[in-house]
Amino acid sequence: MFVAANRGLSRKEGAYLTAAARGARLLALVGPQLKRGRQMTDTAIWNFRQLAHHELDGFGGIGEGMSIQIAKDGRRILWLAHESAPKNFTAVDVSDPRAPKLVARADLPQSHMRSNSLETVGDILAVAYQTTKPGLQPAGFELFDISVPENPRSITFFDCSGPHSRGVHQLWFADGEYIHMSSGAPDFIPSHPRDDQFYRIIDVKNPSKPVEVGRWWLPGTREGDSEPPPERHPEGADTGFRPHNTNVYPERPDRAYLGYIDGGLVILDIADMAHPKMVARWDYHPPYHGFTHTVVPFFDRNLYIVSDECVRMEGGDWPKLVWIVDGRHEANPVPISTCPLPPLEAFQRRGGRYGAHNLYENVPKPNAWKSDRIVLGTFFNGGLRAYDTSNPYQPQEVGYFVPAPPERSPTGSIQINDVFVDERAIVYTVDRHVGGLYTLEMDF
Amino acid sequence: MSEGSTRLKWTSDVGPGAPFAGKEPLPFGRRRKRPRGPRLPVVVVTGFLGSGKTTLIRALLDKPEGAGTAVVVNEYGEIGIDHALLRSSSDVTVLLGNGCLCCNVRTDLQETLRELFADRARGAVPSFERVVIETSGLADPGPVLQTFATDRGLGREFHLQALICVVDAVAGMTNLEEMPEARRQAALADRVVVSKSDLAEPGAAELLIAQIAALNPAPVGIAKNGEIEPAFLLDEPPVARDNFELGRTAHTHGLGSFSLVFDEPLSWPGFEQAMAVLTALRGSDLLRVKGLLAVAECRGPVVVHFVQHLAHPPIELEEWPDEDRRSRLIFITRGLARAAVAQLFAGIAAVAA
Repeated sequence: MFVAANRGLSRKEGAYLTAAARGARLLALVGPQLKRGRQMTDTAIWNFRQLAHHELDGFGGIGEGMSIQIAKDGRRILWLAHESAPKNFTAVDVSDPRAPKLVARADLPQSHMRSNSLETVGDILAVAYQTTKPGLQPAGFELFDISVPENPRSITFFDCSGPHSRGVHQLWFADGEYIHMSSGAPDFIPSHPRDDQFYRIIDVKNPSKPVEVGRWWLPGTREGDSEPPPERHPEGADTGFRPHNTNVYPERPDRAYLGYIDGGLVILDIADMAHPKMVARWDYHPPYHGFTHTVVPFFDRNLYIVSDECVRMEGGDWPKLVWIVDGRHEANPVPISTCPLPPLEAFQRRGGRYGAHNLYENVPKPNAWKSDRIVLGTFFNGGLRAYDTSNPYQPQEVGYFVPAPPERSPTGSIQINDVFVDERAIVYTVDRHVGGLYTLEMDF
Repeated sequence: MSEGSTRLKWTSDVGPGAPFAGKEPLPFGRRRKRPRGPRLPVVVVTGFLGSGKTTLIRALLDKPEGAGTAVVVNEYGEIGIDHALLRSSSDVTVLLGNGCLCCNVRTDLQETLRELFADRARGAVPSFERVVIETSGLADPGPVLQTFATDRGLGREFHLQALICVVDAVAGMTNLEEMPEARRQAALADRVVVSKSDLAEPGAAELLIAQIAALNPAPVGIAKNGEIEPAFLLDEPPVARDNFELGRTAHTHGLGSFSLVFDEPLSWPGFEQAMAVLTALRGSDLLRVKGLLAVAECRGPVVVHFVQHLAHPPIELEEWPDEDRRSRLIFITRGLARAAVAQLFAGIAAVAA
């Protein structure tokens, strides 16, 4: 209960009403919600309908790999990458999004690694392995046969380990033929240790024998480059000149769209995969704090949706944004707006991170939703947020889902990390630490 | 449609030929599932003094369907009482103080709703999903409608889901006859609730309903002990109605309503010009115009809404609500008859063709 704007009342009377209201506040909040059968008292939800919440039996820390497989028996399996050890990946049957069921879960072989990213194509699952420090193993990616979801069987492991490599942070696998990834390599010596990962294209047409067919790095980031190394971001905000997401779409098979972390947005011409060429770069740091994460093209509308990743607690790197970029002239991307967010003060003290992270990427697969108007983004304690970009100069927020802090949350808050939408328009979103999986319908 | 034709205003950023229109230009933006799109629904409850507005709202808040409601109360008097009655039922209650919503408190309403929207976004108030506004008994709903009619007012964040008028079966008939405020409230409503029928003489409610029907073809519901089916208050009123074909003009003290139906799709420029002429010449007499249009330039039906000289941005829907694909317009007017409006539309259509 909240009483305000007591215009027409004296100050004293207004204060009395407010105080009286405070006494009844909790009752007033809990009453109607209990009647409605809500489980959580402080979930904030607008124009989404929550269908279910699954905590994944105590291992609800999910990274940024979410992919749908339709199993041979017709079940719809959602494969989830874990944010950190000890778990590798988890498979959930989401045929009925109101009642998700745990199907399979795999452990990591080592505690000094994480498998934060995965993708499926048909019955093949690709999982990225990254180690905590360079020089450790296993670092690379592993392909699994998931024709029986309960029993994923390893097909091959592609080794990317090396004295300067932490392996693969993120991979894109959509066409069944090539993996596009952010990875180190045994033969790659970065000019600065934080620039250890670069863009690599791996041919997996024969899943038993993956072969590298191309690579690209920002000139100056490899030892021996003729170009000078890029100027470092200030200490504390130096998160590396390396790719995060590496998206390739059938609409433009000759292009790779890279969020290049401290290097900004990078578009590559990959018509000749052996020799990728940079065709555009938009670097807005400084004054912004780096960590460009994802680039999603809206091809028909000549727009790019670009997200940053917030990597510091309590607003330490605010603002981390979702940008709308004019892509009409490919060589010169121009930012025209950002997706509006509630003010920092509203979320700064809730615990953990508050700012942009993953976007729904219009994944070019049959069991994925497509929209070139709606942007869905994840904002850690700011939850999942939806925007209508019909007027790209003024994106409008049309919905949000900020779940209550999960039990045992180390930050004391929700940390919504990633989002996927299937072709039924069911939305899946995940917590980074303990909250697991939430399923939703869009209602805007 | 303020300031003449609005064609350029609605289409410049997103329409055909715009830089980011894409393969399929959408002149009115993304197609929506429903007229309110993502906006927060607002239910305005009007009704003459003592008609039972607070009782009706209280009963709604006590039902599960009423959860997540923010209540804004406008009271006319020294110290508010109604909001105190509502406070224990609602998550969020805001009292708009001394004065009538249609007069000096109108900007307060805008400020309050903006504050509520911002407070909700930053988590300072519970995440309500609708707003119910109880107007003071003397309020003319027209100006309240206007505040929601444009995106320069509140229309970008809030959608007027329904204007409800409470008429009590005991005093309602006299009020409708003698009080111009009561007549306007009933004439403008999307739905009318008859209250206190258990206290009235036998047959009084039926007479009252007939009197209301002469003023407004809106659906009428009867509240029992202040309670009525929540959907009757909360659902979006369908643009198409069972009695739509009547097309009658039932004047009561100059207020009346009628409808126009067009078998063939309308051209948007023609429709806009017809409305521009109407609003320019008779804007103050167009109390409300609501419509669902088959527009030649659009795949989905287009929802339009006018309040006097103001036009809300049109909304294109994904689907038609029923099999009927004809354009339908409902007019609530003061001293403006159907024939003149029909001739205006026909004339412009003939010239446009």
